[in-house]
Parts: sequence; structure tokens; C-alpha cells
Amino acid sequence: CTNDLNITPKDDQTVLSEDLFKDETAYKQVLAGIYANLALTGTDGAGSSNLKNIDAGTSQFGRVLLYVQTLSADQMIWSYENDPGTREIQRNIWTAQNPLLLGMFSRAHLSIALANNFLRETTDAKLDERNVSASVRSDMPAYRAESRLMRAMAYYYMMDIFGKANFVTEDDPLNSQPPVYGRAELFSFIESELKDIDTDLVDARQNEYGRADKAVAYMILAKIYLNAQVYIGEDHYSDCITYCNKIIGSGYTLASNYLYNFMADNNTNDAKNEIIFPIISDGLTTQNYGPTTVMINGSVGSIEQNGTEVGVSQGGWGGALRVRKQFANLWGAAFANDDRNTIISDGRSIDITDISDKDSGYIVQKYSNATSTGGFGVDQTFVDTDFPLFRLADVYLMYAEAFLRGGGGDQATAVGYINALRTRAHNPNTITSSDLTLDFILDERARELYWEAHRRQDLIRFGKFTGGNYNWAWKGNGSNGISLPSYFNLYPIPTASMAANPNLTQNPGY
Amino acid sequence: TVTEQSTSIPLPGVNVIIKGTSTGTATDFDGNYQINVKNGDVLVFSYVGYKSTEITYTGQLTLDVALEENAAQLNEVVIIGYGSTTKKDATGSVESITEKDFTKGNIVTPENLLSGRIAGVSITTSGAPGSGSQIKIRGGSSINASNDPLIIIDGLPIDNNGVSGSRGVLASINPNDIDSFSVLKDASATAIYGSRASNGVIIIVTKKGKSTFSATYDAQFSFGELTDRIDVFSASEFRQLVNSQPINGTTMNTSLLGAASTDWQNEIFRNTFSNQHNVSLQGALFKALPARFSFGVTNQQGALLTSKFERRNLSLALNPTFFDNHLKVNLNANLSYEDNRFGDSGQIGAAIHYDPTQPIYDPASPFGGYYQHRNGNILLLGTTNPVASLLQTNNTGDSNRTYGNLNFDYKFHFLPELRAVLNLGYDETEAKTINYTSTLVPTNDPVKGNSSRGFQTRTNKLLDGYLTYNKEFNKVRTELTAGYSYQQFTNSGSNTGNMRDPGSFPSTFADPNVVLIGFFGRANLTFLDKYLLTLTYRRDGTSRFSKDNQWGDFPAAAVAWNISDEDFLKDSKVISNLKLRAGYGITGQQAVNEKDIFLNRYRGGDANSQYQFNNQVINSLIASEINPNLKWEETATIEFGIDYGLFNERLSGSLNFFQKNSTDLLFTASVADGTNFSNSIIQNIGELQIQGIEYSLNADVVKQDDFNVNFNFNATFLDRKIKKLALGQDVRTGGIAGGTGNNIQLLREGEAPNSFSVFKQLYDVSGNPIEGAYVDLNGDNIINDDDRYLKESPGANVILGFQANIDYKNFDLAFNLRANLGNYVYNNVNSSNAQYERIQDNAVLANLPKSVLNTNFQRTSDVIISDIYLEDASFLKMDNITLGYTFNNITKDLKSIRLWAGVQNVFTITNYSGLDPEVFDGIDNLIYPRSRNVLVGANFKF
Repeated sequence: CTNDLNITPKDDQTVLSEDLFKDETAYKQVLAGIYANLALTGTDGAGSSNLKNIDAGTSQFGRVLLYVQTLSADQMIWSYENDPGTREIQRNIWTAQNPLLLGMFSRAHLSIALANNFLRETTDAKLDERNVSASVRSDMPAYRAESRLMRAMAYYYMMDIFGKANFVTEDDPLNSQPPVYGRAELFSFIESELKDIDTDLVDARQNEYGRADKAVAYMILAKIYLNAQVYIGEDHYSDCITYCNKIIGSGYTLASNYLYNFMADNNTNDAKNEIIFPIISDGLTTQNYGPTTVMINGSVGSIEQNGTEVGVSQGGWGGALRVRKQFANLWGAAFANDDRNTIISDGRSIDITDISDKDSGYIVQKYSNATSTGGFGVDQTFVDTDFPLFRLADVYLMYAEAFLRGGGGDQATAVGYINALRTRAHNPNTITSSDLTLDFILDERARELYWEAHRRQDLIRFGKFTGGNYNWAWKGNGSNGISLPSYFNLYPIPTASMAANPNLTQNPGY
Repeated sequence: TVTEQSTSIPLPGVNVIIKGTSTGTATDFDGNYQINVKNGDVLVFSYVGYKSTEITYTGQLTLDVALEENAAQLNEVVIIGYGSTTKKDATGSVESITEKDFTKGNIVTPENLLSGRIAGVSITTSGAPGSGSQIKIRGGSSINASNDPLIIIDGLPIDNNGVSGSRGVLASINPNDIDSFSVLKDASATAIYGSRASNGVIIIVTKKGKSTFSATYDAQFSFGELTDRIDVFSASEFRQLVNSQPINGTTMNTSLLGAASTDWQNEIFRNTFSNQHNVSLQGALFKALPARFSFGVTNQQGALLTSKFERRNLSLALNPTFFDNHLKVNLNANLSYEDNRFGDSGQIGAAIHYDPTQPIYDPASPFGGYYQHRNGNILLLGTTNPVASLLQTNNTGDSNRTYGNLNFDYKFHFLPELRAVLNLGYDETEAKTINYTSTLVPTNDPVKGNSSRGFQTRTNKLLDGYLTYNKEFNKVRTELTAGYSYQQFTNSGSNTGNMRDPGSFPSTFADPNVVLIGFFGRANLTFLDKYLLTLTYRRDGTSRFSKDNQWGDFPAAAVAWNISDEDFLKDSKVISNLKLRAGYGITGQQAVNEKDIFLNRYRGGDANSQYQFNNQVINSLIASEINPNLKWEETATIEFGIDYGLFNERLSGSLNFFQKNSTDLLFTASVADGTNFSNSIIQNIGELQIQGIEYSLNADVVKQDDFNVNFNFNATFLDRKIKKLALGQDVRTGGIAGGTGNNIQLLREGEAPNSFSVFKQLYDVSGNPIEGAYVDLNGDNIINDDDRYLKESPGANVILGFQANIDYKNFDLAFNLRANLGNYVYNNVNSSNAQYERIQDNAVLANLPKSVLNTNFQRTSDVIISDIYLEDASFLKMDNITLGYTFNNITKDLKSIRLWAGVQNVFTITNYSGLDPEVFDGIDNLIYPRSRNVLVGANFKF
């Protein structure tokens, strides 16, 4: 009976693809898998990982994005430096061996692979062959457009962080050694893809919460145009304004309370009118060691023991996260009562001379596992708080910046947007047009968007990430900050990724 | 009556011949014989494996003879795959250990009967009661795939994966039921097991029924005590340390100090008492059916508070023969009940850490009356009381195993040279685990404690059938074997989740079946009794690979030359045996965790791993990693061996040289990102080479009637080297404690597997290490990962074993020694704990190893990768020493009583600074410590 050698899976969580699509609801579930890859690291609990050679938490999309974009800059310090990779990221001494960079590179490329897989499984030929019903077929253009959007988003982050990516589409075979696209090729691919799917995407704010719509595509376009000087050396500020206007014109409104954006019920309170794209987290059904779980547990103070206020255990993670001096200094007297100012400084020094001393340095209480109505998330470790990857406030700030950089638009509108943010934060100190400068924008972005995984990109765009004209605490591994060579504007390609694809070459300098 | 000299057991089938005539007879089942003789006739008693004895008849009515085993033992039967051979005819590297050679001592699991006895075999067992062992033959042949040898019990290959709830796959087997082990080491011996033979094979044969009645009762009691502790600060030293402000630049809050004085390691460890009882009965049921029945009970306490191992074994063997011995039937049926309580060995780390100035109990504590760091009812963040953690947790595992086989061996009536053998095997383990922690456990969570149950069932079914043809043609003896084998493994189970936690859900799991099918054949040809040739072939199929790759071919050949039978050596007084052997073969490997990776699969999330659209849960489906091209890993082994015997086998042994080359290593390696559903999948990439020399010597130093001294010595030299890795890239491995996901080991081409990857510590002029200062090995003025270098590896280069057996009159003394040389250990206990910052344990104070005084290091993260924590862990150990005295012929029924006493884990000589240099995989992270046991026992024979 040699036929017994041809086995099939027996576990109820595993399905063969030939059986899967007999049930048409599977299409949406496979689409959900592409989104889930931004929140989950595996299918079997928060500690499981479908990527290897890295700890599960070290490859959670939002968390590594936060590390790469925020921990590497002037807003955040991680106390436990023997957590691999964190020391090198926050002191800007990373190498191609860094596990967090491997997590970032591999996780984003898994999004690409999952999107390609969805596109392969939903070609007209395949749908015809399986006699897919008309109702599911009518959803298919949007599903396919969303998977292309998720793929373009992954390429956008690769372009920003590493400056290159393995270029794989649905036409490439599995386990191949794909060509590599640099920034210019990625830029034009992302741009054309996002424009191409515009008609098929669901209108802004009309899709199910958690799924992407036209505004997400506009957001990525706005971002690549704003940063086009960095990416391809071209001025696309007016395109940025165009797409900011498209988003703003879609009916988004600021949440009534700044902090609602970062609370356990930000999926149901009025922050949902501000958040353009969330990464879902749920203490029961979508458990993960993602950015919100890490920031809420991590920002509980070693002295303050303020965990119960934010819906996690009293001690949280013992003071894992604090802020650097330069960020603390952005909150002068004018911001004493600004809702965005969540700094806790009592009994703390502003300086962090010893990173492992969790009592030094200020802490913040921006994210929370409490709800806007006074309740708490269901779990005391895994939070319910969704991570607001893109939100309207960012669009306002991008508009103002693109205006200042000569992209057109209107000064009064720009000032109005800034003041809308301040008013919403109950800060009476509104600005006038003379206050609207690029340096002001960079600081205001820090005040509005800190710990939201934007900072490194912003500093690079302002020419302040590398070089020596802005040195923050522990930049370049000096407690007062040291200049960084310009090649640090790009991260190195992870050694393991490079070894598996000979077409990948290391970024200059590494 | 003719009996066996050493055991007084009657020998059936002994030839009794009047010398110089053809007149003769043979002994019956009970060793009795009758023969007509006249005065002066010389009777010759001969039996395979025994010395022939001649006795002159002088008118006795009965003539009782005790035959002595042949010293040469060259005719000793050696069990090999699907058959047997003799030591003299063996062409491969096969070693056999029978009951009389077993390592003696507090043996709870069968593999320890072999400890230190066989060149090339290393067995590492933890100190946990009844715990499993890491067994490696010749260092294993893989990196990523399994390095476990194939273990076969009475023809049934067992699954190397255990169940949760059991201590290990061999833990349920009673060592007392084992008759012999055969260890097959080289490819020519193992290739008949094809795809599972690369790591060597251990064949276990259990005891069979006999037709004469005998009974034994064994009792053994052991008293254990730990001899060593991790050296941490005492309460008064700790107080002094905390008061010597500031520490690590921070001023400690001295009000956190308590007033008690507690040695936490003393509190979590205990002296142990264990006992074992075995009863066995052998005899003919209904005067015709040879049978054996045994019953064994083992109770073992663990040195760690609450941990224990209990086992009851029932074993039945029926060995009838039919049709004038043409059909032999062997039935072995075993039931084993294993009851465990698992003490969380993580609490050993907590005991090292816990503030020694705090008491164990605190009547005011809301957490069950145990002291905890708390503020009123709120627990402070920090380590929790290890005594409370152990006593408030009750994690048990009950594992019930049923295993055995039914073997039919039929010699054809019309063609007695041809035998047909059918072997049916079955092995099923059902395990239940109950995890329970008190609702009074220290936590601030709304969910207090845990109550969950797990269930798991593994089955293993075997059908083997083969034909063997034995014939002597002229000067050529031939033995031909051909057969078929089918084996299927299943594994499934469920878990309730924490039933006290509404957010915890029940879950189930089921592995795909693993099916292995083989066709095999072997030809043994012997020319002139001197020139031996063995050819083996196996074609194996596995369910682990796709249709295109599922079959593999595994051939082997070996030749041997009995030089001592040549005319020029035949009469040598010095050389009694000399055999040259050479063998070559290819064996396979498919034992990887992945069972269905060649299939296109999706996996849905478990209850905690779903996504949400529109705030509704949707079971997201994620494509699983896939490799349709996965195929066999192959190991080619070439071996040259010499078996020698000198002075009528007073000295004997062998010397082997071997080289193993594993290619297409089953190896988890990177794939180009974006081209699969993981960044790394198991593939066939890489090559590993193992070269070695094995030497063994068995010496009968003194051999007299009432005084015997026997020494057994073996030595193994091993060199393992990675020849090739996926695309030449390094692979990090060897996760360590201290931060999440740190690795200390590396796989690199040209280096030994799992070599340590460390920073080179810098020292000041007076020789003290400078904290966080390392040699900038690549000279780029930055100390980062690129400055790590490779230093040594966990594998020993030299493994030595020595066993002595000394019998004087009725006394017997045995001891053994074991040494590993050149094995390095990374002391993770020190590297993650012995830094002053560890004195602050979140909100509370914590103890740390006193070795911090040697380095004065402050911060773990600055020093954890330093080579200062890498130590030479070469050791010499005396595992066991026993002394016994036997009283013979006490009554008519009670044949003998042997009383004995012994010590286990007698001493360890090493420079290693940790508790025990013998750790798994070279990373010392507080293994369960091994107690020193004092044993007494009695053995009654009826």
C-alpha cells in the first residue's frame, strides 16, 4: 500500500489550496490574511512566527516599523538593550546582521508574496474554472485592487527604509531569485500601481473598517511625492498637495479628542473619522506583540507604576520606553496644557546618561488600553488599541509642508490646518502665517505624530537625520549625540536576505 | 544435568558425544541427558558459545556438568537488522552489550545501561527524575534534521518524539526487561534501515520466556543529595552589598531589604528517596509454553521540590514453538503507566535571584501565606517567591503506553533453509497533562491561576515481513534476506486552555500521518570461513516528500577478512583473533519537523490569531511555506576497522576509522524574500563531514576461578566540520537567556557546527576584564556584530569510557569512569546574572552569583556576548560504583541472594566554574542538577 505515502493535512486549521476555494468565503479570508500579516506574526498566537531566525515580536510589521522609523531617531529610548537589535538601532550603530532589520525586510516582503498569491488565485481563468458565483465575482475587483495596494505599500516602505527591494509580482514563480528594483524603479512602480487601481478601490471611508480604500492609496502617493526629492531627486510637491486635497476632500474629520486616536476603542470612537488606515489589534482575537502593545506596556513608568491607568498590569514592562531630551524640550510653556503633551516628568531627570537606568528620562502616556468611555481593553497585556498607521492630522501637516516647499496650495489653508490640530488639542496658542516655517513644521510634526513611525523619514527629508547639524541624545552612540555618516540614510540589506538572492547588493557604506 | 556455569540455568540442546565415536545425544529442555557409556569413556560436552568440556566416566550414576562460556566469545550471537550474525561473521561496526555488561547503578531509563560503554556513543541525561537523554552515535550526521539514533525494540522502530506528560520516549520502558542492546554504527550495518540509519541504530532485545522455572526479585533504594549550589550572596553579604552605595551608579533603596535570612536554593532543593522493585517469573505455562512475566515499580523523587516520577510496568513474553520447532512465535506485550509531577525548573533561576533577606512565609500575605514582594494586595514587579511558585503549582502528566510485537518465524517444512518472518508491532501512548496553579498565586491579573488539561495520543504501527535463505554451497556460505516494511505514525491531541480565563480557548491539533515504506535485501557471503562479503540495499519511501521525491535508494557493501584463520596465524599463541573490515554505504535522513511542506496549504489563525473587518472577526487564512522539491538527506560512510584478540582473547577489542559525509543536508535556510511564504524554509542545502577514530579494549586482567578482574576501555575521537552551507551564509543559532532572541552560536562553512560566536574580551594591565571593551577585530573603530569571532564548539573532541568489574570469591565490585575532552560551555548562568545591575529586579532587590566579584561587571547587555563566559568544560566523571556480595544456594528454592550498595555521581573533576560541565548543546542555563545518590539493593534468585 504505497499510496499511504500520499498524505493530506489532518489539522483543522490547515487546508489544502485545492479544497480551500470550494468554499467561496475563502476569498475574503485569504484577503484578510494579507492584512493580518501587518498585525500577526503567525497563526498560532502572539508568540508564533511564520518568519524564521527572528523572535516573533522582532518581525511584527508595525513594531519593526516603529523601531526603524522612531526608535532610531530622537523621540524614543528602549531600556532593555540586551533585546537584540534594539541597542544598535537606537544608538545608530546597526549592521546588516541586525535582527530587527531582517524582521522589517522579510515581513514586508511576505506582504508582497501574500498579495501576489491572492492575485494568482483570483485570475479570471481561475475564477471561471471554479465557477465562482456572481456576487463574489463582483467583489473581486476591489479585493484584487486592495491586494495590489498592500503590495505597493510594502514596496513603499522598502523604498523608504532600504532603498531597494526584491521585485516579485504574481507572474514570478515561487522560490526564484527575483530582480532587484532600486528607488527610481520602485517609485514609478508604486506610482503607476496606485493610480491604476484607483477605479477598483472602494471610495474613501466607504469600505469596511480595517480594509483599505482609495484614501490609503492617496496617502501613499502623497507621501512618496512629499519625499520624492529624497527618493528620486525630483520635486513633486504639487502632486503631494493634489493628493492631500483628495484625502481631505473625502470627508475625514479630526477626532474630538486627540487621545481618542490612541485608545482601546479607536476602532469605534470618533477617531475612526480621522484614522485613514489602522493596523488592528484586539486583546482577545488579534493578539500580537505589535506597536500598541509594546508602547502601552512599555511606557508604564518604573517609578510611576501607572499601568492600571492605561489598562495594563500596574508595572507594565518596568519602564521599557522613555523619551529623549530633545523631544522633551519641544514642550515649552506654550504646550503645558496641550492634550498632545503626555509627558510625565515628576521626579525624573530630563537627561538619560545611562540607558539602563529606567528612572532617568521623561516618559509619555500617549497610547492607552483604556477606552474613551472609561472602560478598559479585555486583556492586560495584549491591547485592543489599533495602530493608526495613517491619519488625517498627518495629511494636514503634509499639506502645510508641501505648501512651504512650493507645491502650491494656499497659506491660509495651511495655517488653518495647523491651528485645527492645536484647537483640537485644546491649545490656545494658535499660529499665524509668519510662524509657518519648515523648522516649525518639523517640530509640530514631532508634537502631533510622535511615536507613530514617521520620525526618521521626516528627519531625512529635512536633512537632519545624518550629518551633524542636529545631534540628539545617543545619536551615533554618544550620550550627547554625534554626527552620522550620510550612508545611514538607508539601512543595510539584511545579510540573510542578501545571501538568498544574489541579485541583491549591499547599500554603499555598509 | 548440564547447566550454564555462571547462572546455573540448565542448557538445552548441548551435544554430548563419546570421544572418538559418533555415539551421542543432546540435552533436553531441562538440561537432562541420558547416554550409555562404559568406564573410561571420555564424554565431550559442546555447545555453541561455550567451552567444550571433557569428562572421563568413572562409574558415576549422574554426571552434572557446568559449561563455561567461551572466553573467545567470537561465536556470540549479535543482533543486527532483520536477523542476527556472530561476532566472528560480522562485517560492520556492531557492538553488543548484554545484561552482564550493563552499567550498574540507579538506572531508571534503559539508555543509561549503555552509558560510557560503547565507543562512539554518548548519552547525556539531565538530573530530573526519569528524564530522557540525548543519545548521539558518532556525533550524529545532521545539523538541522534529527541527530537521534533509530531505536528499535524487538523489531519495532519507535518514534523519537515523546508526548507531553511523559519524561521521554524511553522513560516508559523498564530497564529490567532488557536482555541486550546492539549498537549499529557504520553504514554497512545500518543501511538495511535505509532512510533512518544515518545516526546509527540501537536495537533493544527484551527478555524472553524460558521453559525452566526461575524467578527473581530485585529491590533497590536510593538516597540522593545535591552536592553543589550556584554560589550566590548570603543574606548578610547581600545586606552589606546593598548598603555599599551606590551600585551601578544608582542608589539602592535599602528599605527594600528584609530581616530574614533565607538560602533559597536550600529551600527549593531537597534530599531525595527513590526505590525500585522488580519481580520476574520465567517458566513454561502448561508445561509447554515458555513464558516470562515481569512487574516493575519505580518511584523517584526529584531534587527540585514537588517533582517526581512514578512508573509501573507489566510485561509479558510468550515464546512458543510449533511443528517441531519449525514455527517460532514470539509475543511481547507491555503496559506502562507513567505518572509525573513536573517541578518548574525555571524556579532554579528564581531561587538564585530571590532576595535572601526575605522570609519564605508571611502570615499577612494575601498570596496563600507566602512572602511576596507586595504593596498591600498589589504585587510589585519582580521575581516571585520560588518556594511558593513550586508549591502553588501542580503540573502532572500521566502517560499510558501499550507496546509490543508479535513475531512469527517459520522455517519451511519442504525447504528448511528458507525462513519466513512476519513481525507486527504496535505502540500507543495516551497522555493526559493537568496544569493547575492555585488561585492564590501572586498576580495582579484579574485571571488568577491556571487550570488546564491537555490530551495527546501517539500511535506507531508496524508490519515487517521478510524471507531468509541460508545455505552452504561447497565453500561458500550464503545468507539471503529480502523483505518489506510498512510503518505509520500518528499524533493528535487537544488542550482546554486555561478554564479560569474567559479569553483562553480550547484547541486541538493533529499532525499529518508519517508513513514510511521500505523494500530491503541483504546478501551475506562467506568464502572458506575467512572472506566475508555483505551487500545491502534498501529502497525507502516517505510521506514527508512529494510524489517525485518520495523514494530513495540506500545501498551498502562491506568486506571482512578473518586473517587469524589463515594458516600463518592459525597457530599463533599471541593472536587469537584478527579481522580486517571495510565498508561503504549510503544512508538517508528524512526526520524533520515538517511533515507536509511539499503541499500547497493555507493555515487559519487560532482563536487569538484572527483579523477583524468592520470590527467583526474574520478567520484570516495565510498561505503556508512550501517546498515541493524537498528530498532525502544522504550520508555516505566509509569505514575501516580492525577487530583483534590477543592471548586467547584475554585482550580484545577493535579500532575503527570512519568518515561520514552528509550531503543535501535538510537545512532551514533563507529563501529570497517575497518568493515564498516565509523568509526561510527547510531545503536540501549544505554538507557536513564527520571523521572519527574509535578504539575499544576489553581486558581480562586476572582470570582465575575465584578472582576475576575485567577492564573495558573505549575512546572516541571526533571531528565535525561544516563543508557547505546554503549559499555560503552563516546561520545564527544557540539562543541564550538575557534579552529576547540573543544567539551565541554560529554555523559557518569550514567550522564545527554550533561554534561559539563571541566578542574578544579586553583586560587591563592587572589582568582584570574591562567592561564592554572588546578587541576591534576588523579594525573599523566600531565594536559591533562584525567583531564577533568563532571560538571552540560544544562537541567534545575526545570521549573516553572506562569500566572495571572485579569479582573475588562472592564479592563483586564495579565502577565506571567517563571523560569528555575539548568540549566548551557558554556559562549563561553567569553571563545573564552576574552583573551588579541585576541587583535591581524591577521594583525590588534580587540576588546574583558571587562570580560578579571576579569581573566587577555592571551591565548584562554590555558583557553578555563576551568570551569571558566561554569555558573549557572538559571533565572526568565517575558515574557509578557498586559493591556486592552473593550468598549462594541458601535453600533448595532460593538459589542466591546478592546484596549490594553503590554510589551514583561519585565525583566530577573539571575546571568548569558552573554546577556541572555536562550540559546539553553547550549552553549552561541552569540544568536540572544531578544528585549524588547512595544506593542499596538486593537481588533474589529462585
